[in-house]
Amino acid sequence: MSAPALLRYRFAARAEALADMRHALKSSLKAKAVSDAEITRLVLAVDEAASNIIRHAYRQCTPGEIELTLTRVRGKLRFRLRDYAPPVDSKCVKPRNLDECRPGGLGINLIDDIMDRWRLRALKKRCGNVLVMFKRLTQVRVSSRSKHGSRDR
Amino acid sequence: MDRGIVESKHGVFGILDVRGEVDLSWSQELRGAVLKALQQHDALAVRLAAVDYIDSSGIAALVEGFQQARGKQQPFILLTPSPSVRAVLELARLDRVFQIREHLD
Repeated sequence: MSAPALLRYRFAARAEALADMRHALKSSLKAKAVSDAEITRLVLAVDEAASNIIRHAYRQCTPGEIELTLTRVRGKLRFRLRDYAPPVDSKCVKPRNLDECRPGGLGINLIDDIMDRWRLRALKKRCGNVLVMFKRLTQVRVSSRSKHGSRDR
Repeated sequence: MDRGIVESKHGVFGILDVRGEVDLSWSQELRGAVLKALQQHDALAVRLAAVDYIDSSGIAALVEGFQQARGKQQPFILLTPSPSVRAVLELARLDRVFQIREHLD
């Protein structure tokens, strides 16, 4: 049986919808006693992921929707972002070299740094992609039986 | 949502006071304001004390301004970044790239 969702939030894949999504996520994390500093980082990571979906997955397509689901899985927070955009090649989604000072391309670095691990999967039969990010938090009032996460990249 | 950019002048410095949450929905406005101010002033300071949130697109706008200023040898300063801005700058390792100050003088 899958874990009950701490948050289910469906929003338009438009930049103007990001602020409300961030605030909903922030409220949900606050209710789970996550520290303010950690909330700031987690909200940033999810926002960066959603921004990438809007900019790179949907691109010129008719604006679609994004579904954010937050669950607790074996002592970790699990953030799932599902879109209905054309399939994205996960091999093209890479962090960039931070020693290069140039605008853009920082989003994946931030996600990488903040989350324990993440994976992006294009759905084969249906249009869309699923990005799942995990974070183990000691501040969260959950079981701490799980092991440290490993990176999927 | 309370957000915006107010421009003022202090000596040779143009100052942009930015407030609110800088995300994908209006980071292009910040980019435009920074690039325009760099054309109008000998030096530029971007005050970020009232910025509650900034994402990578907002950071990219600042990096572009920084690069343009560096190319023309114009001083480009970030003033009093809020804790959330500072955290993102640190995550992106840009706290060592930008000139960050608490005061202009």
